[in-house]
Amino acid sequence: MQHRLEEIWMTISVGILVVFMIIIGYQTFALGMGPPSHSETIDPQKVEQIAPFDDPGVKEIAENEYEVVMILQSFGFNPSNIEVPVGAEVHFTMTSKDVTHGFQVPGTNINAMVMPGHIQKISHTFKEPGNYLVICNEYCGIGHQAMSTTITVK
Amino acid sequence: METTKTLKTEKPEKYDEKSLKGTIVSVGFVAAVIVVMWVAVFWIYMERV
Repeated sequence: MQHRLEEIWMTISVGILVVFMIIIGYQTFALGMGPPSHSETIDPQKVEQIAPFDDPGVKEIAENEYEVVMILQSFGFNPSNIEVPVGAEVHFTMTSKDVTHGFQVPGTNINAMVMPGHIQKISHTFKEPGNYLVICNEYCGIGHQAMSTTITVK
Repeated sequence: METTKTLKTEKPEKYDEKSLKGTIVSVGFVAAVIVVMWVAVFWIYMERV
């Protein structure tokens, strides 16, 4: 009796973990929905001289597909005003010139840590028009609370 | 003396059986909370993709 109950709850416990890992693994590797990566590196002191960060801004790279090249620094985002069309796939390519910053759009899955020396990439499709708030969610200094901007989706 | 020894060995077994039933209910409750919370967070993520 004792062993039977122990077997049941151990099977359930291990089973839950295995199911969670299978779903997360399938999402990450088969559906390409993994967390943002920062495998590429860059010299943080020469950010503005190295492509693509020598020309930050919004660029149309394909039909209904945009790339936003962005530099984060205390205490702002460059470019500060971003405008993209509804339903377009937007690829954010970001780096920091100074300290670690955050790039979060509340209400969406966009949430990335942007570190000096690393290039951070994250993609998102804005399905609804509106003004989306962008905030830095990593404490970056005395003006951290003022570090925000908006993304306009039309 | 022999009767006393037998009783002493039997009692703990019955006590263990009862306490394990309570444990599996508690473990099942915790498991249900974990699963519900995980599914809720997963659903929120998928809604925003």
